Amino acid sequence: MDETVAEYIRRTVLKIPRDEIKTMLQKWGLLSETQLQTINFRQIKENISQDVVQLCEENSADIKQAAILDIIYNHVYPNKRVWSVYQMKKTGEETEFFDLTDFKKKFKRRLRSALKNVTINFREYEDNAIWIRIAWGTPYTKPNQYKPSYVVYHSQTPYVFISASVLKSNLPLLCQALLLASNYHDIREMELRSHSLNSLKDIVFKRYSQNFQTHYPRPLQERNVAPESADLRIIQENRSEKERIERVNREVFGDGPQPKLEFAQYKLETMFKSDPQMDVLDKKEPFRCLVKFSSPHLLESLKSLAPAGMADAPISPLLTCIPQKARNYFKIRERKNFFPGSFVSP
Amino acid sequence: MEEGKRNSAGVFTHLERLEAQAREIAVKQEKMKQEEEKRARLKARVRELRLQRDKLLAKVRLQKKKLREKRAMSDPAKSGARAVLEWKIKNIKAMLQVSYVTGINGKRTKQGVCFCISTAYESTYLDSYYVHLLVKPEVQIHQHSVPTFIPLEQIAKMYLQTDIGRFLSVLSDHLNAYAGRKYQADQLQEHFSDQIEGTLQRNSLCNLLVFNYKVSSKSKTFPFNARLLYGDLCCSLPTEVNVSCTPDAPASLAEMAAAHSDLFSRVALHKAFRSFSSDEESMDGAP
Repeated sequence: MDETVAEYIRRTVLKIPRDEIKTMLQKWGLLSETQLQTINFRQIKENISQDVVQLCEENSADIKQAAILDIIYNHVYPNKRVWSVYQMKKTGEETEFFDLTDFKKKFKRRLRSALKNVTINFREYEDNAIWIRIAWGTPYTKPNQYKPSYVVYHSQTPYVFISASVLKSNLPLLCQALLLASNYHDIREMELRSHSLNSLKDIVFKRYSQNFQTHYPRPLQERNVAPESADLRIIQENRSEKERIERVNREVFGDGPQPKLEFAQYKLETMFKSDPQMDVLDKKEPFRCLVKFSSPHLLESLKSLAPAGMADAPISPLLTCIPQKARNYFKIRERKNFFPGSFVSP
Repeated sequence: MEEGKRNSAGVFTHLERLEAQAREIAVKQEKMKQEEEKRARLKARVRELRLQRDKLLAKVRLQKKKLREKRAMSDPAKSGARAVLEWKIKNIKAMLQVSYVTGINGKRTKQGVCFCISTAYESTYLDSYYVHLLVKPEVQIHQHSVPTFIPLEQIAKMYLQTDIGRFLSVLSDHLNAYAGRKYQADQLQEHFSDQIEGTLQRNSLCNLLVFNYKVSSKSKTFPFNARLLYGDLCCSLPTEVNVSCTPDAPASLAEMAAAHSDLFSRVALHKAFRSFSSDEESMDGAP
C-alpha cells in the first residue's frame, strides 16, 4: 500500500470522534467484521488509527477507497465545511430521465479530459443525494487529497451545493463538468452560504417552515408556548400588543424551526440622505458600507427579536426575505427598489 | 291744606284700594295653591307612569328572551332566516370537507389565495404541498412548497394566467403521480430489500428506476435487471419497461423476464413483487 494512502487513512481516522470510529468503519465496508473485532476501540485514537492502517495494508487499500472514508466522514459532519449554493439554468424544457451511471460517466470524462491527475469519487445516499469528492492535482503533481472539493447534487434539480477546495482555480472546470453531466447550460453562484448543508437544502428546496394559511393546517409541531404566569396578581398590560407581535411573527416566520445560517451580509452602495441645509456629505458619491449580521443561528435569533421586545414587529423585509430570496449576501444600490422597507439596525 | 283735603277725601278710597288689593292677593294665593296641588298630582302621575313603563319594559325584555330561547329550541324548519343561515354554513363546511377529499382546497388570504394540494396513492394519504397565489395585479405564485424537480414553472406558464382550475389540476396530477412513484419505490425498498441487490437506483422525480432483483429468496444471485422509465410525468405506471437477464441464463428465465416486463407495466411495483412471493409459495406447496 502506498505510503501516502496509509497516512491519509490515518489522518482521516484521527478526525473521527473515538466512539464513532467503529460505525464509520462499518459504513466504509473495507475492513471485514472479523478484522474490526481485532481492533481495540478503547485505546487512544493514535493507536486505533495505526491498527486501522495496518489492517488496510493487509487489504491493500488504494486512494479511491481511502477517499470513500473521507466522504463518509464529511457526510456525517457536513457542518465542518462551508457550503455555497449554485444554480444551474437550461434553455430547453424537456423532461430528463436522469441516469446516474450516465451522469457519473460524463462528469468523469469531462474532468479527466482536462486534467489527468484527479481523484473522483461518488457516493449516493438515501435522500437521492449524490456526493462527489474531487481531489485536484496538476499536470505534474499527484492529486492533493487534503484539499478536495465536495459537491452534493440532487438529480433533476437546478441546485448544486459546493464546498470548494482551497485550490480555487479548479472551480470553473468543476462547474463545466457539472453542467455537462446534468445537461444544463449555465451555472452561477447564488450568494447563499452556510455551514449547515441541510439548511441550505431546506431553503432552496422550499422545505423550510413557511406560513401557509389553509383550512386544514398541518399539525403543529410542539410549539413553544411560554408558560402562563400562575400568579394572578401579575397582569399583562400589553396583552393585545403581545398577541399582535406573535401573530405578525408567525406570518413571517411560520411555526417550525428556521434554517440555520450564520451570516447575512448587506453591502450598501446608497447615497447618503440628509437635510440639505445641514450640508453633510452632500456628494454624489455613494455612501459605501458593509453591514454584517452574525449569529450561531441567525434566522432563529431574528425570529425572537420582536417577541423579546428588541425590535418592532414586523422586522424589516430586508432581513426576513433571506429564506425566500434564497440568499444571505446582498448588495443594495440606489434607485433599485428591490427591497422595500427601511434599513434596520437592531 | 290741599293735603288735608285729600286725606279726608282719600281715606275711603285708600281703604277701598287696600281691600281690592287684599282680595286680589287672596285670589292669587288661591290659584297658586291650586296649581301647586295640580303639579304635585301630575308629578305623582308621572312617577306612577314611569314605574309602569319600567315594568312593561322589563316584561318585554323577558318576553323577548323567552321567545329567543323558544325559537332556538324549536324546529329549524320553522325558525326562519337564522336557521337557514346556519344550514348554509354547515353545507359550505361540508363542501370544504369534500374539496379536501378531492385533494385541493384553498383559502382566501390578505393578498390572494392559498391552495393546499394533498396527494394520495391507493387510499394512502401522502404529503401535502402548498401554493400561495397572488391575484393582483395579475395571478402569480407568491410562495410554494412544491419540490424543485416538479416542472412548476412550465405548468404555470401554460395555465396560470388563463385557467387557474386547470393549473391546479395539472399540478395536482404531477404531484400525485410523483408521490405514487416514490411510494412504490419506497415500498419496494422497505418490504422486498432481500430480493433486491443493493439499493434501488432512482432519481429525484422517480421517473427512472434501475435495479437488479431475484424472484426466489433461495437464489444466491440476482439474475434480473429491471429498468423502468416513466415517460408520462402525470402517471405512476412506467411507460417503458425493460427486464433483462444474463445472456447465459436458461430460456425459462428469459421467458420469466418477459412476463415480468409485462407485469411491471400494468401493476404497481410492490404489488408485482408481492405476487412473485405468493407464486413462489404456491409452487412450494405443490408436490
